[in-house]
Amino acid sequence: MHTSSKLTKEFTKKWVKGLQICCSSKKNMDVLERKKKIKLCADIALASAKNATTSWSIALISEAKKDGENKILVDNLLGPKSPFKQQKTIPLMSTCHKRVRSKKILKRSCSVGQRMKKMGPPKSNLATYIAKRLVKKRTQVLQRLVPGGESMDEFSLIKEALDYILSLRVQVDVMRSLANAAEVSNQTDPNVFD
Amino acid sequence: MSSRRSRQSSSGASRITDDQIIQLISKLQQLLPGTRIQRSNKSSASKVLQETCTYVRSLHREVDDLSDRLSQLLSTIDADSPEASIIRSLIM
Repeated sequence: MHTSSKLTKEFTKKWVKGLQICCSSKKNMDVLERKKKIKLCADIALASAKNATTSWSIALISEAKKDGENKILVDNLLGPKSPFKQQKTIPLMSTCHKRVRSKKILKRSCSVGQRMKKMGPPKSNLATYIAKRLVKKRTQVLQRLVPGGESMDEFSLIKEALDYILSLRVQVDVMRSLANAAEVSNQTDPNVFD
Repeated sequence: MSSRRSRQSSSGASRITDDQIIQLISKLQQLLPGTRIQRSNKSSASKVLQETCTYVRSLHREVDDLSDRLSQLLSTIDADSPEASIIRSLIM
């Protein structure tokens, strides 16, 4: 798949650049802070490697820019001619309401199912009704997982999820290779890092 | 499926058909880890969606774990040192 190798290269370049920017500013970060920076750089690099072609990448960048500290890093990483700059920030609703709502929907669907059973509808209607409720519930969960998912309709959500999964895989592969390489180099030259 | 809902919500210019949605769901199914050969066409949409959510969550967790691991490994490396550039060249 040549598209994923292109994405791999883009992501790796941007991520390493981001790491350089982060790590050069503060030499003595504690482990947790460093981890957050690494993760942030990885997410931003992944989204920017997409070059504003997908909604989830745009949403991810907007979300990252909301934090004042991160905004500088994001701007540095994206560069002056980034297509992300023109995007408006997509307001992300708080997700806890959705969680409560989906639990309520499940309860309601269970109770409605029982009510309908008492009334004795034809079985096929009940099955499709419950199936639709299930699909709706799962779709809501997926909306929360994909960045910017709350504002997407079902069709776009599934398309975005497809792309998001492919990109996440690339991210995991690159990060894993770097972790393995760092481990190997740590083992071979333990004295060099003093 | 909920194709009726999406047809109502989409504009007149872009009508989303059942087939398109089914195609998307099957593409999603192909991406998911698991028995790829034995994936029957009858996997319901809700099951595929559920597995998708689980898969995305597990990918997120992996990224998190890898960031942890990397932050511990890279804590000893100075960003400008030659070792960092070796690592960089290894992964490029």
